[in-house]
Amino acid sequence: MTAAAPATAGEKTAALVASVEDLRVHFELKAGVLHAVDGVSFDIADGETLGLVGETGCGKSVTARSFLRLIPTPPGRYAGGRIRFWPKEARQSGGEPVDLLQVPTSDMLDIRGNRIAMIFQDPGKALNPALPIREQVAEVFYQHRTEDLLEAWNGRAPRPIRRAASQRAGKLERLAFKFPPLRSQSKRLKRRVDELVGDALAETQIHNPRKIMASYPHELSGGMKQRVMIAQALACNPDLLIADEPTTALDVTIQARILELIRELQHAHQTSVLYISHDLSLVRRICDRIAVMYAGRIAEIGTTQQVFHDPRHPYTQGLLAAVPSFAHRRGELAAIEGTVPELIDPDPSCRFHTRCAFATDICGRVDPVLDGRVAGRPVACHGYASPEELGVAAAELPHLDRSPA
Amino acid sequence: MQIREYVIRRLLILPLILIGTSLIVFTLGRVGGNPIAIYLEHEMTPEEVAQLEDRYGLNDSLPEQYVAWLGGVLRGDLGFSGVSAAPVMDVLPRRLAATLELSIAAAIVAISMGIGLGTFAGARRDRLPDHLTRVFAISGAATPIFWFAIVMLIIFWVYLGWFPVGRSDATIFASIPHPTGVYTIDAVLAGSWTAFRDAIWHLVLPAVTLGYGATAIITRMMRSSLAEELNEDYVDAARAKGLPERLVLRRHARRNALIPTVTVIGLGFGFLLQGSVVVEIIFIWPGLGRWMADAVLRGDQATIMAYVLFTSILFLIVNLIVDILYAYLDRRVVLGG
Amino acid sequence: MVDTAAPREPLTRTESGPLAVRLRRAGELTREVLRNPTTLMGLIVIVTLISLAFLAPLLTEPNRPDAYQMPRDWGATNAPPGTPGHLLGTTSTGGDVLYGVLWGARTSLRMSLIVVGVTMTVGTIMGSIAGFIGGKVDEFIMRIVDVLLAIPELIFALAIAAVLGPSFANIIFALSVVFWVKYARIIRGQIIHVKHNEYVDSARVIGDSKLNIYRKDVLPNSVTPVVVQATLDMGNIVLVGATLSFIGLAEAGLAEWGVLVSEGQAGISSGRWWASTFPGAMVFLWALAFNLLGDGLRDVLDPRTGGR
Repeated sequence: MTAAAPATAGEKTAALVASVEDLRVHFELKAGVLHAVDGVSFDIADGETLGLVGETGCGKSVTARSFLRLIPTPPGRYAGGRIRFWPKEARQSGGEPVDLLQVPTSDMLDIRGNRIAMIFQDPGKALNPALPIREQVAEVFYQHRTEDLLEAWNGRAPRPIRRAASQRAGKLERLAFKFPPLRSQSKRLKRRVDELVGDALAETQIHNPRKIMASYPHELSGGMKQRVMIAQALACNPDLLIADEPTTALDVTIQARILELIRELQHAHQTSVLYISHDLSLVRRICDRIAVMYAGRIAEIGTTQQVFHDPRHPYTQGLLAAVPSFAHRRGELAAIEGTVPELIDPDPSCRFHTRCAFATDICGRVDPVLDGRVAGRPVACHGYASPEELGVAAAELPHLDRSPA
Repeated sequence: MQIREYVIRRLLILPLILIGTSLIVFTLGRVGGNPIAIYLEHEMTPEEVAQLEDRYGLNDSLPEQYVAWLGGVLRGDLGFSGVSAAPVMDVLPRRLAATLELSIAAAIVAISMGIGLGTFAGARRDRLPDHLTRVFAISGAATPIFWFAIVMLIIFWVYLGWFPVGRSDATIFASIPHPTGVYTIDAVLAGSWTAFRDAIWHLVLPAVTLGYGATAIITRMMRSSLAEELNEDYVDAARAKGLPERLVLRRHARRNALIPTVTVIGLGFGFLLQGSVVVEIIFIWPGLGRWMADAVLRGDQATIMAYVLFTSILFLIVNLIVDILYAYLDRRVVLGG
Repeated sequence: MVDTAAPREPLTRTESGPLAVRLRRAGELTREVLRNPTTLMGLIVIVTLISLAFLAPLLTEPNRPDAYQMPRDWGATNAPPGTPGHLLGTTSTGGDVLYGVLWGARTSLRMSLIVVGVTMTVGTIMGSIAGFIGGKVDEFIMRIVDVLLAIPELIFALAIAAVLGPSFANIIFALSVVFWVKYARIIRGQIIHVKHNEYVDSARVIGDSKLNIYRKDVLPNSVTPVVVQATLDMGNIVLVGATLSFIGLAEAGLAEWGVLVSEGQAGISSGRWWASTFPGAMVFLWALAFNLLGDGLRDVLDPRTGGR
């Protein structure tokens, strides 16, 4: 559908799809303010797959949901920062980005599912149990592809049909669709929707889309449901696909196929992907770059190669040591000592300092910043900080290997 | 397919419960007092009384009496209503029509108000409208309907004069034929706008009063199940598709929240049946409930037995329909195991 | 299977621990229950109403010979609220509404306590028989329960009271026949649950008698749902009972809220609202307060079935 420019597809371009800057998402709880996301920054380049990894509860899902403003407020609150987003037109003409945290709701509705789509962790829960698949996928077209649906009318569709094509038809109009003269036209609209839904499903290698369309979610397998979710997400050719642990709830055998499918479709649609996972081995297979998250903050960012072969942050180093079959040959799982700290009303400090083997006094007092000057790529650790800027002696910093990669 | 099996299973239990109910009703009639009391008069001689007893089979053994009574019920003979001075079966249809008209109007009030209020509150969880609705819902179950009806009368009839009591205006009533006994339908059949307006005008206050308790039950259930559904992933998934909040709520969350709400509609109907007795007394509504109340005061056993048997069956049927509806709506119940 | 050396320790559960532990636990629960403002409100109203019931003979001159009969002041019929000597007004037959309100609380307390006591006992016995004996007996009792549940409470109670003839005692009897079912279900469910639990199997092997199983496992675990049900019933019984007496099944002239509403009903078309409104409001307060408390108890004691 889109005029793909083959030259830019493979090339590493500097064009960004999205840029998160110092994002802060807090939750007002009875016990205090939970800093679920506390100063997160990263970029997503056009066409790339960025992995956002971290343990359960580290804020990666909250970060992902913030892109679409899906955090319930209250108790949630976007406490600071911005998420800039460049839609296709803006990237091509060098136009201005929009701040996803600031755009008016009507613009946000236009972005959701159209420019930025999302796949959820458990497809069994993310599909509405009471609606057949057709209705659920069709909603995307009704919402964002009204003109497409009305193509056959050449702009001369009667008002009720136009309203139906954008899900605005009232009860009376829907009643009128059951009788002539609107009956045949509404049927034509339905056929057009069926066509589009069928194509979208077929694209995710569903072999009998007509049968699936008529099914209810509980009649489908987990893998099939996730295919439906993917079809629905990619139906409008989004610029950015957010995949929130899309294979966690699936059988291991199906995981690989779904992963493969996402990669294929990503190339076909030229979509950037933000891939959220707690599974490092999985992220390694699909991502170009990886951002490691810990307790509401980014620990470090690098290419997959860099993060796996030259982890800089002590947390990443510990995490990699915990991955079986990677640092250790068989079965030996090096768990990181200690537990994730409380994120309610935290004091300035490196969130990892309680579990870090290198931690010094400064780690418990000062927030580290994400800085790439010493390490050669962004790492948030005082071990790579400049002692002058912090106003301490070099000896007081954690002793890490500061040689550039 | 499985839904059909489920329905058949439910239908098989029905006769069992019906026999049990009829036994209880019969026992009430025989053990509880003298079934011919209403026919007795002071100047009767003991011989005449004995004659009466013999005529109504009171000297037979109890099982024989039960079989005879049940045979009569099955043939449509529910005995002679003392308060109406007519056979029970002659009076019942007219009374039933009046009660059905009132109950259905009340059910419409309860279901639409309950779902509407519940949706409104559930979508605004823990904010002021939600707290107010919660108070309303809890107080609804605790409100004595006889008192509520009187308060409604005092406000809307005595002081404001907005609504009348009774079932219709006498002259308007006489102006059209009444083939069904349901006055709104009769008015439509007769094509009389005046009669229709009169029927509705008389219906509003008792229907709202009667529907109040059931409204509270439905509101409460709808509120909590909607609030629960709104936490589900598919609601966020619907938002992530770009659907406006209106559609997220209406097409996604509310549809699923309605499923558990259906189960309390049966309970709500029980409320309506019970409430109809006092509402009909207070609003002078000539339905089954008022008939029962009259019979209770006069010790008219035939009428009491007919009423209990009839309302129990009605209640059973409604609950059966609700069960079937629930099984149909929530395919997961039956098919998902 | 037979393990004679099975430790006795698992048999004692938290509910039947040392007295001090149980008291502390009860204290914690009480605090938790009272943290909810609506529950607290319910409790305050209940305490107030029950105090009124106890203080009735001090606040008003008891009528002679029967204090539960309304006194008649024929010199002041239809007096509006605020009349000296008749703070809440009088009925068309000169009954003092305040007297009815206060002594009505006493009547209601008496009625609900008797009915809850009787139904709890009968329900426990029936449920225990069904649960322990099982088989045909269980089947039989549970069918009775099914049938009783098939008829709406009020209608069933109305029918019973009606064939027995109008009297307050008959109302109490009718309510007792109707309200025992839920307790039987709770106790039977608990017994069947315990029967399927392993630790009772080991207890039986050791030679515990049924009575002991009952005392150690069934009763402690049934206390919570029974207490919640009893609290809710305290309210509902007065609600249904007052409805029956409103319909006319209690003796005329009884100092009971439903009777008073019924007596006042005739006057409302002439603007005499007080005789019905005050006693009816008392029924509402009574039922509301016990419902609030019951709900609050359920939320805390049995979070699974919490109605939120």
